[in-house]
Amino acid sequence: MTLLELEDVSVHYGRIQAIRNMSFTVNEGEVVSLIGANGAGKTTTMKTISGLLNPTSGKITFAGDDITKMKAHIRVVQGISQAPEGRGIFPGMTVMENLDMGTFGRKDRNGVPQDLERVFDLFPRLKEREKQYGGTMSGGEQQMLAIGRALMSNPKLLLLDEPSMGLAPQFIRQIFKIIKEINKQGTTVLMVEQNANQALAGAHRAFVLETGEITHSGTGKELMANPAIKEAYLGVG
Amino acid sequence: MSMVDGPTPLPEAAAEQAAEDREAKSTGPGTSVTPEKRGGRGIFGSLGERWNALPRQQQWAFLIVVVVLAYMLPLINPPIITTEPGNNFALACFDMARFALIAVGLNVVVGYAGLLDLGYVAFFAVGSYCAAMLTSPDSPFLHIPYLWTIPVAMAVTMFFGVVLGVPTLRLRGDYLAIVTLGFGEIVRILATIIPAMKGQVGFQNVGHPPGTEADGTPIFSNSNGVPWYWLTLTIIIVITLLVGNLERSRVGRAWIAIREDEDAAEIMGVPTFKYKVWAFAIGAAIGGMSGALFAGQVGFVNNQKFDVTTSILFLAAVVLGGAGNKVGAIVGGALVSYIPLRFTAIAEYKYLIFGIALVLIMIFRSQGLLPARQRLLAYGRTAYNKVAKKESSAIPGGEVPPAGRSGLGKGNGKGVQA
Repeated sequence: MTLLELEDVSVHYGRIQAIRNMSFTVNEGEVVSLIGANGAGKTTTMKTISGLLNPTSGKITFAGDDITKMKAHIRVVQGISQAPEGRGIFPGMTVMENLDMGTFGRKDRNGVPQDLERVFDLFPRLKEREKQYGGTMSGGEQQMLAIGRALMSNPKLLLLDEPSMGLAPQFIRQIFKIIKEINKQGTTVLMVEQNANQALAGAHRAFVLETGEITHSGTGKELMANPAIKEAYLGVG
Repeated sequence: MSMVDGPTPLPEAAAEQAAEDREAKSTGPGTSVTPEKRGGRGIFGSLGERWNALPRQQQWAFLIVVVVLAYMLPLINPPIITTEPGNNFALACFDMARFALIAVGLNVVVGYAGLLDLGYVAFFAVGSYCAAMLTSPDSPFLHIPYLWTIPVAMAVTMFFGVVLGVPTLRLRGDYLAIVTLGFGEIVRILATIIPAMKGQVGFQNVGHPPGTEADGTPIFSNSNGVPWYWLTLTIIIVITLLVGNLERSRVGRAWIAIREDEDAAEIMGVPTFKYKVWAFAIGAAIGGMSGALFAGQVGFVNNQKFDVTTSILFLAAVVLGGAGNKVGAIVGGALVSYIPLRFTAIAEYKYLIFGIALVLIMIFRSQGLLPARQRLLAYGRTAYNKVAKKESSAIPGGEVPPAGRSGLGKGNGKGVQA
C-alpha cells in the first residue's frame, strides 16, 4: 500500500529551482533510498516531505491524505518523523530530554514507555549516556540520538537525512544495520544518502537524484548493477 | 490557541511549584549529572547543587527568610548596602524591583524562547502610557482607577506584542533583533509626534493606588517608595510563580526546544510560531505591567524615558543574571538598577561599566551569574521509570551495560539481532 506519494513536486529557493517535478512513492513497510551528490536536492526533498519547506507546485499525499499544505508540526502527529541532517539534536538538553522532546506531538501517552524501551534496545549507548548533554556527545552518538528521538513519536514514516554523514565506516555499517532493524519492526523508512553503497544495499527500492530530478529508479540491487551508477556513485568503473 | 492545551504541570512539578529557584539546577532521572557546559562551574554553580541537596523544609525556611528580608529591605536600610545619601533607599528599592520585573518579562522572550528582542522598552513605554493616559488629568481620555490600569496596560501591551510578533516572528536571529530595535524606536517617535501623546510635555499627576495616611497624604505618594516597592515585590512573586509554572509545562519545554533549535523543534511537533508569539505576548504583558507601575510611582510620563539604551540595559540585566533563569533575571535586574544608584560617583559611566561587566561575563561565565537549567522531562519521566523498573527486575542486581570501546558498543548487536 502506498504510504507516501509525491506528484510533480517542485521546490524553489527564491528563484532557484531545487527540485523539478519530482514524483515517487514509498510503500508501507519499505526502505527507500534517495541517493545523489551534493546539491542534488536530497535535503530539500526531505524538508519538503517533513514540511519545513513548501513546494511551489505539485502534491504530496501521506496515508491517503493530501498533506501538501500541512504544517510540519502537524505532519509529525500524522506520523512523519525526521532525523534531520547534521543530527539537529538539542545540544543543551540531555539525551533523555531530547528523547522526551520526540514525544511532544504525541496524543497517546501510554505508548511512550514502550517506544523508549525500543529506542534503548536499538541504541544501548543512549541508555548509558541518558544524562549526558546532547552537544557533548560524539557524532555517531548524536546520530543515534537523532534517530532515537525521531522514533519516540512512533512514526509511520521515518525520514533519515544522511544518517551516515561524518561517521567512521564501522559506525556507518552499524547505523545501516539498525535502520534495517527499525524497518523490520514495522516502520517505513525513507532516507537520503551520499553513501550509495550502503544505501542501495539496504534498500528495497532506490532513486538517483541529479540536480533536482530523479534520473534512475529501481530496486537497490538493480541500481547497484547499473554501470552508469556504478561509475558515478559506487566508485567502481 | 490555548496555552494549556498540553498536560497541565506534572504532579511532581506542581508540588515543587513553591521551591521556585530550584529550576536553575537539576533533578529528575535525566538531569542529575554535573552539567559540563552550563553551570556547574564556579561558586554559583555549586551553590545550585548544594541548594538541590537540601531537604524540602530547609529550602522552604530559607525561601521564607529571603522573602521576609526582601520585604523588610527598605525599612532596615542596611548601612553598607544603602544608596543614601545620594538616593532615597526606598525609591531605589522600588527601582530595583521595577527592573527585576522587567527582567523577568524579558527573560521569557530572550531567555526561554531565545528571541532576541532589542525593543523591549517599547512594551514598557506602552504600559507607562496606558497608565498615564487613563489616569492623568492632562489626558482627555476616559479615566479609570489606577489599579485598573495595570490589567489594561497588560492587555494592551499583549495586543501590541501579538501585533508586532505575528509579522516579525517569521524572521529569525539578527533580523528579528533589528525589527524589534526598530519597533522600540517607532513607539518612542510616535509618542513624540502624535499630539494626543503630548511628546516631551507628557502627562503629570498619573494616578496611584487608593488609600491615605492619617494626615491625608496618599499612601502611594511619589516620594514614598516603600508601598510601591511592596506592591511591585508582591507582583514579582506572583509573576515568578506563574512563569515558573509555565516553564515547567509543555509551553516551557516548547520554548526551550525553540531556543535550542527551531527547525528541530518544529519537526518534533512543536507549533513553533504559535509558541513564539505566546512568549512575545507574555513578555510584553509583563513589561507593560512594569511600565504602568513606573508611571504610577514617578507620576509623570513623557517621551524621554524610553530610548534604545534603556532597552539594552534591560537586555544586559537578563544576560548578566543568566538568560533562561528567572531568579537570575531578578538578580540581574536588581543589580543593573542598584549599581548606578549606590555608586553615584560612577553612575555617569554606567554604560561603560556594564559594557565591561558584560564582556567579562561573556568570557568567563557566558551563562550569566545564575545559569539556566530547566527540568524538561514530561512523559519521559514516567516512561523512564517504567523501563528502569522492568530492566532491574529482569536482570538481578541490575546489569551495567558493556562499555563499548568502538563507538556503538557491543550492546547494539543485541538490538540488531533481536
